[in-house]
Amino acid sequence: MSWVRWAAPPAIVISIAAPAHAFRYLSVEQAQKLAFPDATRFVEAHVIFTPSDVAGIERRSGQKVRARGQQVWRALTDDRLVGFFVVDYVIGKHLVIDYAVALDPSGRVGHVEILEYRESYGGEISNRSWLSQFVGKTSRDPLELDQDIRNISGATLSSRHVTEGVKRILALYETCLR
Amino acid sequence: MLAARTIWISIMVGALLLAGSVGSAQAQSPTNQELLDKMKAMEQRIQTLEGQLEQQKKAAPVPVPVPAATPAAAPATAPGTQPLAQTSPPASAAAPSKDIFGILPSPINGLKLGAYGEVKFGTQQNPDHNGQWQTGFDMARFVLLPTFQFTDSIIFNSEIEFEHAGSGFDEDDKLHGTAEVEQLYVDFKVSPYFNIRSPGIDLVPIGYINQHHEPTLFYSVNRPELANRLVPTTWAAPSFGVYGKIVDDLSYQFQVSSSLEDFGSGFDARTSGNSPAPFPTGYAPGISGLDGLEFARPPRGDFAQLSNDLAYTFRLNYTPPFIPGLAGSTSVYFTPNTTPRDAYSDTGLPLHHSSLTLLDSEFRYRLPGTGFEARGEYVQVFFGSPKNLRANNDSNPANNVGRTMYGLSAEVAYHFPIGTYLGSAWEAVPFYRYTYEDLQTSGFQGSDVNAPTGAGKLQFHTVGVAVYPTPQLVLKLTYEKVLDQQHGGAKSDSVLGGLGFFFY
Repeated sequence: MSWVRWAAPPAIVISIAAPAHAFRYLSVEQAQKLAFPDATRFVEAHVIFTPSDVAGIERRSGQKVRARGQQVWRALTDDRLVGFFVVDYVIGKHLVIDYAVALDPSGRVGHVEILEYRESYGGEISNRSWLSQFVGKTSRDPLELDQDIRNISGATLSSRHVTEGVKRILALYETCLR
Repeated sequence: MLAARTIWISIMVGALLLAGSVGSAQAQSPTNQELLDKMKAMEQRIQTLEGQLEQQKKAAPVPVPVPAATPAAAPATAPGTQPLAQTSPPASAAAPSKDIFGILPSPINGLKLGAYGEVKFGTQQNPDHNGQWQTGFDMARFVLLPTFQFTDSIIFNSEIEFEHAGSGFDEDDKLHGTAEVEQLYVDFKVSPYFNIRSPGIDLVPIGYINQHHEPTLFYSVNRPELANRLVPTTWAAPSFGVYGKIVDDLSYQFQVSSSLEDFGSGFDARTSGNSPAPFPTGYAPGISGLDGLEFARPPRGDFAQLSNDLAYTFRLNYTPPFIPGLAGSTSVYFTPNTTPRDAYSDTGLPLHHSSLTLLDSEFRYRLPGTGFEARGEYVQVFFGSPKNLRANNDSNPANNVGRTMYGLSAEVAYHFPIGTYLGSAWEAVPFYRYTYEDLQTSGFQGSDVNAPTGAGKLQFHTVGVAVYPTPQLVLKLTYEKVLDQQHGGAKSDSVLGGLGFFFY
């Protein structure tokens, strides 16, 4: 019967995975609602970077800008601007992490959410206790791992790269949104 | 290309005008602020495109990635969002939009290739040459990390490892290392709470270093001592399993793997029947009071495992939110039997089953806002039937094993920024680690004379500094003093330098 022990796992994998859809923690729409529950509309305000935008973001954040633009929405309650919702991508260890940052109109972080996480290790960055460290940060904060943002041992690379990403988004606010 | 850009700009302007007319016809008209926002975005985009056209006029034509979303494509909008006639790519995080807003695709879509490695050099005592200090060099390991994304939820992971500069057939190559598949599996990511790791080769989820052993993650040149004998890293085994989070800050992993085996000889000492060479040839123990479990890892290929037994490992990872900066894990490994089929003692008697249970608990702590770091680990191994262990029946009275083995370690380190050089902020991490191991406790049973020399009771004082030019690169210097209870001591001290890297 030892063959059963080896045959059972693939059978389980196939039977469970077959109906499974691509998993994501949150959709963009869900994250928008979570970040701005009182908003009545989200208006696209995507940014395509000019060379001076890239230079400004890199100078302010110390991070390399690798994209050609940024997905940004303006969150409105009736006609009043209540904040910005930004979707961004960073590499974890090997794979892309989709995440979103919500800023208030003054450029203060209100929310950070992991939208999709694909790595085998390091999923702890989606824990609320870690993500809540970003709340209230502005471009004037250091946003450095092990300084004002706690590292998660065992998820070091994901922690570092999301921290760098948020710092870059705060620089984007100063350069392109404010 | 120029014509295409011109057409695109024309379409965008047309679309904007169209949006204005359609918008005015709608019951819920855009506000002036929204129109201004749109105008601003369009202006910015047109400026960008004009800039690109100018650059193309000046430079020789080069291929430019075409945005996935064309003006003709209707943008997807969030629920409750008024449709806009601007030419933005889809609002959802669909893959094509990453061409503009995210990470550029790999030339082979879905494939990533990372690498890590470590170089060691220096001088160390050779206990097999009466403790003589010998200078040497080791291209210890170079590891390639191909990862392939079949879908967002089906991920292939692997590690291809070259150790000690690799292996070679010709004498003049002077290579005596390995080239091996150290990890290979597919993850089916069903939910944060339940993910399936396919049959393949995976790391046994015990302790921290076995799963996270890139050289940038520990400070000594060699891996911490507990990760050599008591947790035989790199402990990779044929396996499958499941993992996920239980609640925030608490996750689990369960793995079924090929069992550790009490057989330490090479493949030439196995028969084609997958058993040790018959009595009275003899064979080396996989579990011993001198080497711990270092030689007990199961083979990963060719259906060459020496028993049908499977091992079961359960691990909990925790990051308690009430102690910021603390992470830890507790894991238990159990196999009902480590004895190979047809195992025997040197007296010719058969060796029967012996179970093995391994417990590991470890923590890592970084005091928030400071450079202070501490780590600690405790490992204990329990043997179900020591009288059936080969080391207790191999005519060698010095390597015997008792009912248990255990070890503990404690480490302190401090992270100092040391300035910016060559374009990056450098960090120095001096550290000290104390390790105690007892591989020869009481409870010996077997046919051997029990006369251990004290070589299985070890203490290590490890001190050094790791300098990080970037978080991905480390230069190390380590001094290690090794003490044991045999006459003359362990004669295994070392002063080693190292270079480690990890890129992705």
